[in-house]
Amino acid sequence: MKSAPEKSFINLINEHQGLIHKVCMLYETDRDARNDLFQEIVLQLWKSIHTFRGDAKITTWMYRIALNTAISGLRKQKRGLQTQELEERHFNISDRATDNQEENLQKLQRCIRQLSEIERGMIMMALDEVSYEEIAETIGITQNNVRVRMNRIREKLRKLMNT
Amino acid sequence: MEEELDDLKLIWKQQPGFEAKNETEIGLMLKRKSNTLVNKLKRNVWFELIFTVVCILAMAGYNFTLPEGALRSTILSLLVLLISYSVYYVKKIKLLNQYDPGIENLKDNLSHLIERLDLYMKFYKRSYAILYPVFFGLGLLFGAIEKGFDQFINKFENPLYSLAFLILSIVFMVGVYTITNWYLKKLYGNHLDKLKTLLEELKG
Repeated sequence: MKSAPEKSFINLINEHQGLIHKVCMLYETDRDARNDLFQEIVLQLWKSIHTFRGDAKITTWMYRIALNTAISGLRKQKRGLQTQELEERHFNISDRATDNQEENLQKLQRCIRQLSEIERGMIMMALDEVSYEEIAETIGITQNNVRVRMNRIREKLRKLMNT
Repeated sequence: MEEELDDLKLIWKQQPGFEAKNETEIGLMLKRKSNTLVNKLKRNVWFELIFTVVCILAMAGYNFTLPEGALRSTILSLLVLLISYSVYYVKKIKLLNQYDPGIENLKDNLSHLIERLDLYMKFYKRSYAILYPVFFGLGLLFGAIEKGFDQFINKFENPLYSLAFLILSIVFMVGVYTITNWYLKKLYGNHLDKLKTLLEELKG
């Protein structure tokens, strides 16, 4: 039997699991590692649920825990490059792989993965329409700094997308 | 620039459906063990502490059944060593418990994690800098008890034997320290270096 807090937490994850999936996709390239990271983020969210104060958006709190876990919490296992590339290709193939929009999305994902781990988190939040104020709060830098870094990231992405 | 970001947002919104986890899967995830570095470290130290306490209890019980003599003294000295080890493990757990990733932003979290891991590594290194010579000394003591003190000391009257003993001791100690340092670096050092680089990036 699940307790009431457990049930409402599961509903919360169910509702926002897209956010966790996106973090996993940008920080891990193979399927097993991505599943491990998903599970770890869910566990950390569950353990930290008491730290959520209603004054912030729930998604901002979720981004903070998810990024903390993806960037600093886990020691990355070195996997063979070949396996990584194979898994990546496998992950990127879908029924609509020929779709132009999907190709663009895959290219964008590949380009984002070439950014540093911190830049990846920042651009992901920006693309998800998170405000600069919330990005600054999640990362721990000033809004001005976010603005400067975002310009740099966009410039890098533009170059990567055009190559 | 803003237009460019808007274009990227449009592409980003075309995310294909993820393999959604159902409620049962999510519920099961809550029952599993965390694999973060700090949690793994905590589990290892708890295992070592429990193992040490079990050894202490077993040896203390065995010690009561022994008559006065060399074996009883040996067991007693090992007991003292194991008790000091338990204190060391408790201190390690306290260090690790001071870290809570849930409440901080990325920069503070990185900074505190680096601080905790740095302290943990220093504590680890300091402890084996003390414990290895203690083990070495105990090894010599047990050797002397086994052979008989007079016979053991007589061997050192031969300068060649003394020199060989000294060289082997240095090689052994340097070897043990080098291997432990390498292992520690492999286990946590590389991750720590990565965290420091990330923090530098955030500060820059």
